[in-house]
Amino acid sequence: MIVAGRSGGEGVRLVLESEEAMLLSELADQVDSVLLLGEDDDPALGRLLPSAYIDDASASREFARYTRDSLVDGKRQAAQQVRDATAVEAVEDGVVQIELDQSEAWSWLTFLTDLRLILAERVGVIEEGDDTADETRDDYLRAAYEWAGFVQGSMLEVLDPTDS
Amino acid sequence: MTSTLEQHATNLRQESAAEVPWRTVVWDDPVNLMTYVSFVFRRYFGYSREKAERLMLQVHTEGRAVVATGNREAMERHVQAMHGYGLQATVSKVEP
Repeated sequence: MIVAGRSGGEGVRLVLESEEAMLLSELADQVDSVLLLGEDDDPALGRLLPSAYIDDASASREFARYTRDSLVDGKRQAAQQVRDATAVEAVEDGVVQIELDQSEAWSWLTFLTDLRLILAERVGVIEEGDDTADETRDDYLRAAYEWAGFVQGSMLEVLDPTDS
Repeated sequence: MTSTLEQHATNLRQESAAEVPWRTVVWDDPVNLMTYVSFVFRRYFGYSREKAERLMLQVHTEGRAVVATGNREAMERHVQAMHGYGLQATVSKVEP
């Protein structure tokens, strides 16, 4: 994966190995599915759509009633955008090149955040050292989590370079 | 007389609404990158780099930061936007 600036202006250019593109496309499809099909008691969905009031369940419900559909739509659109951009069938030289303008890049950044929130919930980033966890599955999810963080961090460095 | 009283009551309500503002609180989350949180504060609230980084560091070190205050409706819009960006945010009343 190479993350670079665009020669023609603002935004970011991504060069992905075809395996990386396939992985990202799959993960984006899974995020979309969690948003579409996730049960209300799915803790991952709770990370994506947290309560707006800490001590007021009724106000929280009211807030969710008015905002949930639009939040889910926005998150699904971002996931679908990443899924479609990376679902490339014919690959030249084994790499997939993707150019994103500023607004498309924001969709990617928010998608990568949602992806990491879901992976963190599934793998238990906060609860370390759970012996009963499926280690192979967790290794895969953890690797995807780290990788998504690397991609997001690299994109931010291009979009928002700091002097230091 | 009646109208005067009603007028008075209305003024009281407006005053108390102005005295009890609401706040948007962003909570620390071990998942989100610090650079991302700071970038979101700048993009969404239009804060300077310095202010955005100060708030981000406050979230990181103190566990939370008040990123905006104002009327309840505006704070709910902010919280909705923060949730859209994947940040953990809540609305709360400023304690008297």
